[in-house]
Amino acid sequence: MSRRNVELLFLVIAGAVSTMAYVSVYAGRFREINRVSIIYGLVFVGIFFLLHLLVRFALPQADPFLLPITALLAAIGLTEIFRIRPALALTQGQWLLVGAGLFVLTVLFVRDHMKLDRYRYIMGAIGLALLVATIVLGTTVNGSKLWIHAFGFSIQPSEFAKLAIVIFLAGYLDDKKVLLSVPTHHVLGVPLPAAKYFGPLLVMWALSLAMLIFMKDFGMALLFMSIFVALMYMATTRIVYVVLGGGLFAAAAAIAVAVVPHVHDRFTTWLDPWPHAATSGYQLLQSLFTIADGGIVGAGFGRGFLLYANRQPVVPDLQTDFIFSAVANEIGLLGAAAVILLFVLFMWRGFRIAVWAPDGFSKLLAAGLAFAFGLQTFIIIGGVTRLIPLTGITLPFVSYGGSSITANLVLVALLLMVSHRTNVVREGTDLERRRLAARG
Amino acid sequence: MNRAISRIFIVGVILFVALLVNLTWIMAGRAQWFADRPENKRGIAKEMRIKRGDILGFDGSTIAGSVRRSGYYYRDYPQGTLAPQLVGYDSVRYGRSGIEDELNDQLTGQSTDLGVQSWIDRLLGRKPKGASVQLTLVPAVQKEAQKALAGQKGAIVMLDPKTGALIASASAPTYDPANLEDDWARLSNDPGAPLLDRPTQGLYPPGSAFKVVTATSGLDYGKVTPDTKFIDTGTYVVFGGKVTNYGGAVFGPNDFTTALTYSINTTFAKVGNLLGRKRLVSSMQRFGFYQTPPLPLPQGGIVPSGRYGKTGLLSPDDFMDPLAVAWAACGQEQVLSTPLQMALVAAGVANGGRVMKPYYTQQIVAASGGVVQKAQPQQWLVAMKAATAAQLNTMMQRVVNAGTGTAAALEGIQVAGKTGTAERGDGTNLAWFIAFAPAEDPQVAIAVVIEDTQSTGGEAAAPIAAAVIKTALAQPSLP
Repeated sequence: MSRRNVELLFLVIAGAVSTMAYVSVYAGRFREINRVSIIYGLVFVGIFFLLHLLVRFALPQADPFLLPITALLAAIGLTEIFRIRPALALTQGQWLLVGAGLFVLTVLFVRDHMKLDRYRYIMGAIGLALLVATIVLGTTVNGSKLWIHAFGFSIQPSEFAKLAIVIFLAGYLDDKKVLLSVPTHHVLGVPLPAAKYFGPLLVMWALSLAMLIFMKDFGMALLFMSIFVALMYMATTRIVYVVLGGGLFAAAAAIAVAVVPHVHDRFTTWLDPWPHAATSGYQLLQSLFTIADGGIVGAGFGRGFLLYANRQPVVPDLQTDFIFSAVANEIGLLGAAAVILLFVLFMWRGFRIAVWAPDGFSKLLAAGLAFAFGLQTFIIIGGVTRLIPLTGITLPFVSYGGSSITANLVLVALLLMVSHRTNVVREGTDLERRRLAARG
Repeated sequence: MNRAISRIFIVGVILFVALLVNLTWIMAGRAQWFADRPENKRGIAKEMRIKRGDILGFDGSTIAGSVRRSGYYYRDYPQGTLAPQLVGYDSVRYGRSGIEDELNDQLTGQSTDLGVQSWIDRLLGRKPKGASVQLTLVPAVQKEAQKALAGQKGAIVMLDPKTGALIASASAPTYDPANLEDDWARLSNDPGAPLLDRPTQGLYPPGSAFKVVTATSGLDYGKVTPDTKFIDTGTYVVFGGKVTNYGGAVFGPNDFTTALTYSINTTFAKVGNLLGRKRLVSSMQRFGFYQTPPLPLPQGGIVPSGRYGKTGLLSPDDFMDPLAVAWAACGQEQVLSTPLQMALVAAGVANGGRVMKPYYTQQIVAASGGVVQKAQPQQWLVAMKAATAAQLNTMMQRVVNAGTGTAAALEGIQVAGKTGTAERGDGTNLAWFIAFAPAEDPQVAIAVVIEDTQSTGGEAAAPIAAAVIKTALAQPSLP
């Protein structure tokens, strides 16, 4: 079976599962299934069918699993948002449409990701500008400054900055990897490359420290620093960058815990939420109670106890940062574990694309994107389950939020482009190779 | 480069494995622990979305109903305050008590024995509906009992001696369950303890009312007959101490029936020592002393009667010298009883010696209309031979017709009873009256206790018992 037919098959399966989840919620709420509910379902299926047709036409050799996983995660998210606040599901549906549009534009205009390597410094500048703009223009929500309000929309620029910075670092590090991996001197027996190549490391460190102090957000700082350290390591294979980067970030985190009250609160609440059960620990404890209440199989979509009688969610921000708590409550341990495995599967496909890619830039780009995606998932699920301190970050494709879903659909488009090129270069026909060359 | 990429992927997989392990720990390992945390109000909030079943009186009228306000159901009490200590409260802030607590699973429709409909409801994700509980409490009798106690401290328990059904259970001072949350601070600090269910949790020295137990023992073990002769000099000297009569009375020659009629302490002290500790305690046990009566109530909601020491209930084998036995036979010394236990004593005599299991649930009706549980009277204990019960019945009629209990006599209804007056040492008395009626075919058995009174059992408690018995026997039907 061709890659595209595999994709279509899995999309149909994902569509069937999504439809069942959605119908379950709809029936639970309205005690009936009517034409409107079916139309909503069909629109969702239609969006992913069109994306599939685009990939079939433009990227025929791309990985067949990423799009079905994306569709399933987005469907779970939309269903759960609809279940918590029906009005927001319509907005989220529109954002999904915008994200799909951006996906189409990325595929049609970029065509080949190798082109992006040429604009690496522009990408780096865009990423930096987005983060600086957030620090300067951002508004504080829940103690963290992650949002910019503009043109009637709330945008979370860090979601897009994440993509731009990965593109920049993939290009920059692929170029400089040799210089960065050759030791020129030793400090305390540790081989180190020339001091000037530490510049980017220090810039990244300063950036994440600034994010900690000005955005007051531990999660985004951890994400950016980790992306950087992971890419440095993958480019140079030198463990010294991981040790140094980890140490620098730990120092920055310690400073932030001591200096920034919001970060300090989050940290102490994480260590022991019980004395703060009614105040700063309320959200985290309610999240844990909601998750623990899910049991092994859960009550089913639309059947959990997620809303009080006055329609307020049992956990504040349930539809955004705490969407995983809602999912775990409704579909239980088995369902929640399946969702986590979907994220692992996504990450695995990303890394697989990286390993097979024929050139350094493609490898670093795919691995960087897959790593960013996986780590962001870990940070938010770990946060709401109290494995790590809680931070305001979205669960890719599932959480309510326009920036998150559009940025992550672009991420999928980029991974599909890398995998298409890889497969064409490795096993494609002459015709396909010529077409690819024509795109550059 | 590929090796480094693989390593980073492995790091990612390890992180996700950590997520899965932690999630399993929360959702499977410690789920119950999280559910039981006091900070976790999910359970109560979930139950408040369920229409809680009604608690009904024996006549079918609502004692505790359910009203919906902004999505949640709250209790309301259309008949005002009716046996609130026994029925209990259901509060988000202060939890539950009494029957509301004991039968919570049925009232919220979560009990597994509520039948197929409840199971189907859960399968379809419909909210379960609570079953309604019909009690054996008769509201008209209950109201009469509460009225009789108004302004005093004390308790009234009325049972059907033939079934064990609880007809009335009043405790004073009382409270209004509708205002529980507003009044909580005052109620929980009130020295009169209005939240305490005196009938099942109040421990009082039973005084001379206990002589029914001593008489049972003496007759049943053949140590005395109703006609056994005694001579009272006003004082019975035993084991370096003495037993005297109430008010210093001297009765001279008396038989055992007369001794019960006028509550002669010296005679009962002598009978106590004729029996000895073992037989007296054994008779107590056969009435249910030294064990918690099987009335289904939450932990601590009902306490056993018996001899109490500094550390609580003493063992039935605890040593007693002859002076202690003599006073215990008169219901003093360290003997303590709940009003319910004394009502069970009266009921045992009334029912030919057989003590029925006390109960309060007439039936439980599921929301679908099906009866899921119906009262089935069961014998609990055999306190004495039927012949002994018949003799005691006659003797207790004499108490009401010619003795200390004449205030309990009713026109056209033969009441049999026994008074009790326990002196508390602070100048106040504890006034008791236990009785059953009609003596020839007992329909009700009652125990009345009044605290902090200057009067005797015959003066303070007997008229109350009579009034409640009269109301009860006037009812069209009793459990």
